[in-house]
Amino acid sequence: MSLVLDIFTIVAVSAGAFFFLAGTVGLLRFPDTLTRLHALTKADNLGLGLVVLGLLPQAQQPFDVIKLIAIWLFALLAGATVGQLMARVARRERPTP
Amino acid sequence: MRTIFMRAAMARGAGFFGFWLLLIGPNPADLVAGLCAAAAATWTSLRLLPPGGGRLRYAALARLALRFGQESIMGGVDVARRALSVRLPLRPGFVVYPVRLPPGPACNTFGALTSVLPGTLPAGVDHGALLYHCLDVEQPVAVQLAIDEGLLIRALGGTHDDT
Repeated sequence: MSLVLDIFTIVAVSAGAFFFLAGTVGLLRFPDTLTRLHALTKADNLGLGLVVLGLLPQAQQPFDVIKLIAIWLFALLAGATVGQLMARVARRERPTP
Repeated sequence: MRTIFMRAAMARGAGFFGFWLLLIGPNPADLVAGLCAAAAATWTSLRLLPPGGGRLRYAALARLALRFGQESIMGGVDVARRALSVRLPLRPGFVVYPVRLPPGPACNTFGALTSVLPGTLPAGVDHGALLYHCLDVEQPVAVQLAIDEGLLIRALGGTHDDT
């Protein structure tokens, strides 16, 4: 059972790392601030979710599970809020038709 | 009115302090910091979301949460696919979405929720409409946004004019 959980952890955390990598590639390759914000907010949100999901079976106490999920939710909330604010500033600097 | 306010303040304060205890643990030396944090969170929550508003509908909220989960997976996969593609398939542009929700917390919640949608990012308000930056303007962005908004309006308890 423990082996199955360990394999689950390795697969989920690796998948999470892949999305962080994809987000960083997007940050480097996408052409402007607004498209780069897409790469960061969406890919990292999914990446962190997968890392947290992978770490859940390794938690020693129920409190650790709640903590991990809370960290993910806080990061999600912060990402969604800050992403929008940065998008507003970026748009103001480059007015649209 | 005053009792409703006090009851909401007590319930929210207890909730925030309980959540803080879950995160930090019941160490007596830390309790003062926890009480201060809970008080600050309660004050902010009462200011931004005064008690006595519409009732939440949990079935619609659950459906919204499910859709949010699916969309964040699709959003992450979509952006990863575009970033790693050799051709870099982007057709960026803006889409104006005439939002039905009133300005304020409900509309801000909608903006935060939809920032995980595949290919869309709220980038400000323009004459009462939300302005979305899109990675690919040929995607059916407005249709998806309308589905999300309908679910949020139902979760917040009814028609769009009572929030």
